[in-house]
Amino acid sequence: PAMAARLLLRAARPLLAGAGRGTGLSTAFSTAPPPEKKRWLRAYLELQRLQAPPRRRSEKPNWDYHAEIQAFSHRVRENFDLDLLKTAFVNPCYIESEEARRRQLGLDKDAVALQLQENSGLAERGLRFARAYLEQCFEGAYPELPAKGIEALVNFLTSQELVSYVAQNLSIQDLTLCRDFPAPPDVLQRTFLAVIGALLESSGPERTGMFVRDFFIPQLIGKDLFEIWEVVNPMGLLLEELTKRNISAPEPRITRQLGVSTVLPVYFVGLYCDKKMLAEGPGETLLAAEEEAARVALRKLYGYTENRRPWDYSKPKQGLAAEKAISSN
Amino acid sequence: RYVRQLQRLQLLFSPTAADARGARQFVEEAAQDFARQHPDVVLYVSPHSGPGPAPVLRAEYLNGTVRDELIASKTSEEIVQLATKLANQSGLDIIRIRKPFHTDNPSVQGQWHPLTNKPSILTVQGPRLQPK
Repeated sequence: PAMAARLLLRAARPLLAGAGRGTGLSTAFSTAPPPEKKRWLRAYLELQRLQAPPRRRSEKPNWDYHAEIQAFSHRVRENFDLDLLKTAFVNPCYIESEEARRRQLGLDKDAVALQLQENSGLAERGLRFARAYLEQCFEGAYPELPAKGIEALVNFLTSQELVSYVAQNLSIQDLTLCRDFPAPPDVLQRTFLAVIGALLESSGPERTGMFVRDFFIPQLIGKDLFEIWEVVNPMGLLLEELTKRNISAPEPRITRQLGVSTVLPVYFVGLYCDKKMLAEGPGETLLAAEEEAARVALRKLYGYTENRRPWDYSKPKQGLAAEKAISSN
Repeated sequence: RYVRQLQRLQLLFSPTAADARGARQFVEEAAQDFARQHPDVVLYVSPHSGPGPAPVLRAEYLNGTVRDELIASKTSEEIVQLATKLANQSGLDIIRIRKPFHTDNPSVQGQWHPLTNKPSILTVQGPRLQPK
């Protein structure tokens, strides 16, 4: 019964024991002091533990940097050159803060200078490659889309929020070496682009292209073209597009209307070219409906409708595409 | 591409306690095989000496969720099964699923709205033309 009681006790409080002592220990639990027996003291220590500021994963127990980096390369299913990958995670702010700290501790100049290289060069190369590759993808997939639209899409995909969101969900925020915690989004963006640069150096442009395609293009699922690309005057843009294709100017006509004299009217305005319907769009007022109809027409013309073919993720046979990507760098 | 959502597994157990026997057997026999089969999960084995908390398998996921599973008085095979179950999960919270069905394309031909089958105002209704 004593053994049984002890077993029950152990199972009953697995998390509290030694919890309040875990602060600042970089070794494993082997040095944790025995758990407190006073109930009130346990409650206080638990409160302290919950109110402690968040720390980096690398400062908590059980952290092996080399193993984590290897696991990262397996998780992403890419063969990285591990030294390049380690440099990709080093940020300039980390190097400055480390050197300042060493100087403060009074080490001489040789010890102060860290032997680490930063990731700015890799980040730049990664950014250029990613932009070139994505531009090429979109030019191939949506040939009608004008240059400004492609630029808007690529800017959206390489923007800070999106890249830092993808980086966080790939555990890059645990592996980066940077001065502040939690890592700000521009640091995460730079690190992720540096990882892409490191992959470019280690595996070549084809594999990196597949990597960029697999992680960036699914972020476009469910997004509408004009959510990403701000168009101020869709009617003017539509007129330009139609003159390029030698179609006459569209005539807007009211197709359907509901609740005209109420607070919430709905007008469906159709754009007709040569008495054939181009597109139809709803809106609250006639002007809003006409603008929406112009946007629908533009979506149809550019081939970015909701019922377009989904993106093709099969194995690429484009050796040419990859070479074009490098040559445009 | 598929990215395994499990980041790392921490095996916290005591080398002398009786209920950690399964954990010790797991470490001796099956831990290396498990680590070799799952190269993208980092397995940390940390024995803490003396009377400590119950043996626990802590799983950390890419979205930050940390899940503790008690492995007290479990055999080595059960721990292997538990570890593979954790490795195949995502880090989303385990809550009741409201509906067992979900679809990303709720409507194929377009959702019905009150104006779907009404003819447009512009269709001319002559003596022979029917409104389409």
